[in-house]
Amino acid sequence: MSDVRNREAHDAAEKAATYEWGFTSDIEQEFAPKGLSEDTVRFISGKKNEPEWMLDWRLKAYRKWLEMRAPDWAKMQVPPIDYQDAYYYAAPKKKIELASLDELDPEIRRTYEKLGIPIEEQKVLAGVAGARKVAVDAVFDSVSVATTFREELKKAGVIFLSISEAIREYPEMIRKWLGKVVPMHDNYFATLNSAVFSDGTFVYIPEGVRCPMELSTYFRINAANTGQFERTLIVADRGSYVSYLEGCTAPMRDENQLHAAVVELVALDDAEIKYSTVQNWYPGDSEGKGGIYNFVTKRALCQGRNSKVSWTQVETGSAITWKYPSCVLAGEGSVGEFYSVALTNNRQQADTGTKMIHLGKNSRSTIVSKGISAGRSDNTYRGLVRVGPTAENVRNFTQCDSLLLGDQCGAHTVPYIEVRNPTAQIEHEATTSKISEDQLFYAMSRGLSQEDAVALIVNGFAREVLKQLPMEFAVEAQKLLGISLEGSVG
Amino acid sequence: MSLLELPSNREERWRWSDLSALPEIAARAPSGQMPERLPWLDCATPGPRLLFVDGRLVADASEPGDVALGTVEAPVGEDALGRLVGSEGWTLRLGSGHAPLGLVQVIHVSTGAADHLPARIELDVDAQASIVETFLGDGWTNRLTRITLFKGARLMLSRRILTASGYVSLSDRVAVGEGASFVLTTLAGGGADTRFDGEVHLAGNAGFAEVGGALLARGRQRHDANLVIRHEQPNGQSRQVWRSVADDQATCSVAARVEVARGAQKTDGEQSLKGLLLSRTATINAKPELEIFADDVKCAHGATVGELNRDALFYLASRGIAPAEAKALLTASFVADAIERIGEEDVRTAFLDDANAWLAHGGAQS
Repeated sequence: MSDVRNREAHDAAEKAATYEWGFTSDIEQEFAPKGLSEDTVRFISGKKNEPEWMLDWRLKAYRKWLEMRAPDWAKMQVPPIDYQDAYYYAAPKKKIELASLDELDPEIRRTYEKLGIPIEEQKVLAGVAGARKVAVDAVFDSVSVATTFREELKKAGVIFLSISEAIREYPEMIRKWLGKVVPMHDNYFATLNSAVFSDGTFVYIPEGVRCPMELSTYFRINAANTGQFERTLIVADRGSYVSYLEGCTAPMRDENQLHAAVVELVALDDAEIKYSTVQNWYPGDSEGKGGIYNFVTKRALCQGRNSKVSWTQVETGSAITWKYPSCVLAGEGSVGEFYSVALTNNRQQADTGTKMIHLGKNSRSTIVSKGISAGRSDNTYRGLVRVGPTAENVRNFTQCDSLLLGDQCGAHTVPYIEVRNPTAQIEHEATTSKISEDQLFYAMSRGLSQEDAVALIVNGFAREVLKQLPMEFAVEAQKLLGISLEGSVG
Repeated sequence: MSLLELPSNREERWRWSDLSALPEIAARAPSGQMPERLPWLDCATPGPRLLFVDGRLVADASEPGDVALGTVEAPVGEDALGRLVGSEGWTLRLGSGHAPLGLVQVIHVSTGAADHLPARIELDVDAQASIVETFLGDGWTNRLTRITLFKGARLMLSRRILTASGYVSLSDRVAVGEGASFVLTTLAGGGADTRFDGEVHLAGNAGFAEVGGALLARGRQRHDANLVIRHEQPNGQSRQVWRSVADDQATCSVAARVEVARGAQKTDGEQSLKGLLLSRTATINAKPELEIFADDVKCAHGATVGELNRDALFYLASRGIAPAEAKALLTASFVADAIERIGEEDVRTAFLDDANAWLAHGGAQS
């Protein structure tokens, strides 16, 4: 399969090489040649019909990236990544077709059932032949759903597009905001993303509009395979509100090894963005083989007065999670929130947290992080709270709790506090504990199995965060925690 | 001293440091100018006294008693400043049945240049010692102290940095044995910049360590503490209590880490880092870090940064106490939290007096 793909790619590359600009948009092939070079960048940009300025931007990022080194400060062991041994552009892949659900890896099937996913949807997720039809129906369904949604959104003036479309249709807006919050040279992975991002989402909420529904990539037609280098940009204009859901609670056996996404949020005066993520990518097997490396840069700019950004994340997947959704609180009275549950099992490694950069007067932030480690995993909270000299009356409250299940895992807390204004009030608390025997005994005496009892207690531990999630996410996230812990007790 | 290689603050451990003044001090010649008064403590049980001026013992002002002088048996430190200390220094080695020693007092005077000195403290089974080190002068005082406490040994080490200007860098490498206890309290209450580098290993079952202190900074002063307490065996207990006060354009930074090794069950680790900003241009940095590889542990930390509690100030004002005095009172009590752990009353009182003298010296006026 991959040989064929490789050959195709090379053929395409050769064909493309005869064109004056290397790669142009009218080439029909599906894959960029393996490896990363300026040509790859040109190919992606050409494939997407991008204007020249976008290509220049990508190339600039690529050249910058060549000079950068992968960060090594996180408490993780990252195997060396061969950036030349990867595809940087692939049109949506066709899934391997299964004859029926019975052929599906029973482990995945069991997970689907535990999550309570309807049979038909299971078939779609698993890519069962015949269910393709269902899938098409389902897609048609969601197309129609999406279309009705689009109508409604259009009426409200909300722009909700893939970023490639947005680059073509709203170039001024993209030029104005892209790279404004996460600059092109921000860090190794963000720079890589800037060069080769394949797709993503652009959302603009106009002044005074409360987005009539929760936006989710799930409803976007071309979100089927957004690829490994996703780019998301959300701009909330004055007085607007939007809630954005990212991710999918169903375990997708994504083959992409490396994910390096960038998410940029901008909130103007009185605007509010609520960004919720449930990340459940393949974590690798119990011996730590395989799994996704997830290096994500997420940052919000609370530029306006009284603007607010709230990050909520439930991270249970990926072999490696490197992710610090942050808020630059520049606006007077702006508010940043970070609610996180990160669960690691087996040999997973998570180094995640947030940065709250207080620049505006009266800005406030809240950080609640719940880390759960099991198996032989390592789970680190890494955070920064910084108060600039002109930021008066800043308030921050941080709470990081760690729960250890088993004596072979690790739980770490690395908070940085840097305060340069005396009127700031910064509080940080952290605790580390294990499940108490009493709690476990009590739950089991009420008839719960040990596994269910642990899941229940873990859910209680994470409750403060889970309750921040939109309803439909919260229910599945709870189940997910239980599932992710399987095999870690007893 | 052009060979002086100093770490840059790109290195994580030196993130908040500023060592830029050191090469200049290292190039100076000592002035020989002694302070008017040497603050020996009068105490109930006097013990050995050592006076070092520019890193050299002043024999006629010292009574070494059980403290040996000469080559210090210890490998040189690997860290950037500790490795500069050389091999000639002082050693205190107490055998298991040793009679109580009385309070060991060491005064270090630096007269304008750089001096480096190693020390070795080794307490055998159940031995006990209490040591006070006082730092004076205006140069760069650099020390590396290696400490080994065997089973049941107890060491109380208290340090006050009253150096008027310049730099004081103190590195400690400590191994705490089974049931042994190590308490290190530091008061930075002079005008010099400081760097404290500590690594405490609780290498035996049920070891106890407490490392803390008060960092008082004004002007453009910088205090910078970087500490690790590593629990290697079960049932250990540790506490880190730091209180920082920064005025004017000063910066106080504390990075304190508790590490719990795999298998070090029943560890109880606690950190409390608090910072008080007295002026609009001062900076407080804190990094209370936990690294935990065992599940049956109790580790907690708290960190706060802010200004004096307005309610408390209002309350004191309502009782007729002038604002300046109220501020001084509250600041003094904030600082006292970190010093009150000193066991001997004489030492504690002296340290509190030093802290209060610093505060009275314009610290809480505005």
